[in-house]
Amino acid sequence: MLGLNKIIPVEPNINFLGLRKNFLVFSIFAILISIVLLSIKGLNLGIDFKGGTLIEVSTKNTSIGELREILSSSYSDVSLQEFGGENIILIRLQNKSNQESIETVNSVKNLIQDKVVEFRRSEFVGPTISSELLFRGFQAVSFALIAILIYIWLRFEWQFGFGAVVALTHDVLFTLGLLSFLNIEFSLATIAAILTIAGYSINDTVVIFDRVRENLRKYKKLDLVELFNISVNNTLSRTIMTSLTTLLALVSLFLFGGEVIRPFALTMIIGVIIGTYSSVFIAVPTLLIFKFRPQDEDD
Amino acid sequence: MRNYPIWKSFTVISLVILGIIFSIPSIIYDDDSENWFLKNKINLGLDLQGGSYLLLEVQLDVLYKEELENFSDSIRVLARESSSKIKQIIINENNVTVIFENTKKIDEIKSSFLQMYRGVNLQHKDNQLNINLDDIYKKTIQDSAIKQSLEIVRKRIDESGTKEPLIQRSGKKRILLQLPGVKNPERIKELLGKTAKLTFHLVDNENEEALNANIEPFGKMIVKDIYNENIKYLLDKRALIGGESLVDAKGSFDQTEGHAVSFRFDTDGAQKFGKITSKNVGRNLAVVLDGVVITAPRINSPITGGSGIITGNFNAQEASDLAVLLRAGALPAPLEIVEERSVGAGLGADSIAAGQIAAIIGMILVCIFMILIYGTFGALANVSLIVNLFIIISLLGTIGATLTLPGIAGIVLTIGMAVDANVLIFERIKEESLKQTKVFQIVKNGFDRAMSTILDANITTLIAAVLLFAFGSGPIRGFSITLSLGVIASMFTALMLTNFLVYMYLSITNKKELKL
Repeated sequence: MLGLNKIIPVEPNINFLGLRKNFLVFSIFAILISIVLLSIKGLNLGIDFKGGTLIEVSTKNTSIGELREILSSSYSDVSLQEFGGENIILIRLQNKSNQESIETVNSVKNLIQDKVVEFRRSEFVGPTISSELLFRGFQAVSFALIAILIYIWLRFEWQFGFGAVVALTHDVLFTLGLLSFLNIEFSLATIAAILTIAGYSINDTVVIFDRVRENLRKYKKLDLVELFNISVNNTLSRTIMTSLTTLLALVSLFLFGGEVIRPFALTMIIGVIIGTYSSVFIAVPTLLIFKFRPQDEDD
Repeated sequence: MRNYPIWKSFTVISLVILGIIFSIPSIIYDDDSENWFLKNKINLGLDLQGGSYLLLEVQLDVLYKEELENFSDSIRVLARESSSKIKQIIINENNVTVIFENTKKIDEIKSSFLQMYRGVNLQHKDNQLNINLDDIYKKTIQDSAIKQSLEIVRKRIDESGTKEPLIQRSGKKRILLQLPGVKNPERIKELLGKTAKLTFHLVDNENEEALNANIEPFGKMIVKDIYNENIKYLLDKRALIGGESLVDAKGSFDQTEGHAVSFRFDTDGAQKFGKITSKNVGRNLAVVLDGVVITAPRINSPITGGSGIITGNFNAQEASDLAVLLRAGALPAPLEIVEERSVGAGLGADSIAAGQIAAIIGMILVCIFMILIYGTFGALANVSLIVNLFIIISLLGTIGATLTLPGIAGIVLTIGMAVDANVLIFERIKEESLKQTKVFQIVKNGFDRAMSTILDANITTLIAAVLLFAFGSGPIRGFSITLSLGVIASMFTALMLTNFLVYMYLSITNKKELKL
């Protein structure tokens, strides 16, 4: 057998919990910065949530400057951006009403008709729809968090549910903060990414909690900090392995999956890293708030 | 094979074979095949095959306003008939208040009015009548308007030659359209953007004063010309006949007038039209489309054949589009496009190609990694992973799910996450191997202990995916579908297939010790 798994010792003994204060400080700091960023800078909302028009074209060797010149004479709020390939350009416009959009798309198309090889995509989201989409996205994320909490609560003791939700909220806020900081577009796909991150992070947390519960039964007299440390170490190689395989797939998606899916892949990569981190350094230490010992653990 | 029930091997093997067989249609992907088996292929979403998604909103406010005006007009007529005088009519957002000079005939007017409009909420107080457009009445208007709009939209889309359109109601007042393969969504949008309400009205040429002062006398209306806003006509408010009486309309060419639309009335309409034209020879008849006058020719002689032409400064396309609209009929209220997503075939094809490359490379990377870490066991997990992919594809094909670009992302993500269950099992086996030496016992304990963790971990992911499906729209739903199927398939492949493979491997090699 090739077995490179010896890199990670079968029974590692790293004092994760000993570092908990440092990481707690780091996380609180990160969350605070995220909140500040989100309230001051905000998210880079795409047209799904902001409304507006988006047209993707491939051009005949026309520079982005030329197109900008043609369009900005008619529209003050037009923005152009290269999108993946050199000759592929993304045009964004803000429209105020629904009616305006049909005319906008038509007149933009007429203006640049002779410079364009193909209109690859055009999207328009009206103001009523964009606010509905935002609301529904918010609903989906909150309901998912609540449903996950209920599930954990049913399968474990409620203290575990609390720990899981603290970790989840941490993940969502931290990810959103990074999205704001890196100016990654926030779209419907981002909502999907965040929900998947929530699912992934909780998955990670559940695996460790499962072991904590098992060890609570196994070592009745062990000090809690040590018990948690053992549990994290027991599951460490699995935590690392799964994160790495998931990241491998995501990096492949990021590099080769095409321009449209790139922000989604990037968000997921960020989320998986944060989710893995929080399972070990946030979710487990949170359990220390509760005194498990005197209670019965024969679940 | 020790300890391995035959029924279990049989189930595993047959599920794997079924998974592989039913993924064939989606892999070959023959577009036009009528073969029952090859038809079980994945449907591509609009973002992958190219096409247009449109969300239309029926402008109900326009209808409500119209209905309030109808109320007020009817009250005026009833008041005139019973020769009682109206002091004032106030039309508000949701009701009409009529104040009479006296209370004498109010009861009579009230009961006749209620006969005309059943189910209207009408209140009577002294010399006042309050007619309310309440929610129940609004709902009847809304439901019939949406039903009618759906039908008209369907007719217009069919006329435009779009293949396999999906047209359905969405929520309270919206209509959702999916038009695969549409190359020119602008034309469709134009077809849908017009109400196409066609009516014929007599022109009043005698009341120049009112026209100049821009005041509409009761029963009359001032309408602009389609080509020149400064030309206005004073018309009878009541339409003599409307587009609903048409049975046919065609784009045609007239020697003197150029492109035109020729039309034909049904039998009743033809009779009515004949009567109107013979009674009013010498007067002008205005053709009004969506609130503007297209043309207002003089009636030179009675038209009894039931057919005619509408001329205007049309070009060929405009004339044929108008004919399409007239054939399909008028929308009860204007439609507004509130969301549009159109993807060209080029981008769709690029997305599929990119998705395939990402999936294959992701797969290779994960497989190499698994072999590096777990050796032979990793290779067994890789077999499971590949079968997992086949099962996802075959499930997508057989349940007729739609694959979207985010759906492809879901598959790639699943490739990374699917090995998790295997990892959990192998790590358990590793731990167990430190405790005892009996190979089969180690493996059995490993699988058993990992089971509950695998269930817990995957169910949480499933919860997120299901909620995403419930609240997500279009392409995002495609993501939640592939993610859910991936999670379910990965539980099967890890707990059953990997399990089977590991037992097979251990039986065949007859290993006495296990090092992982």
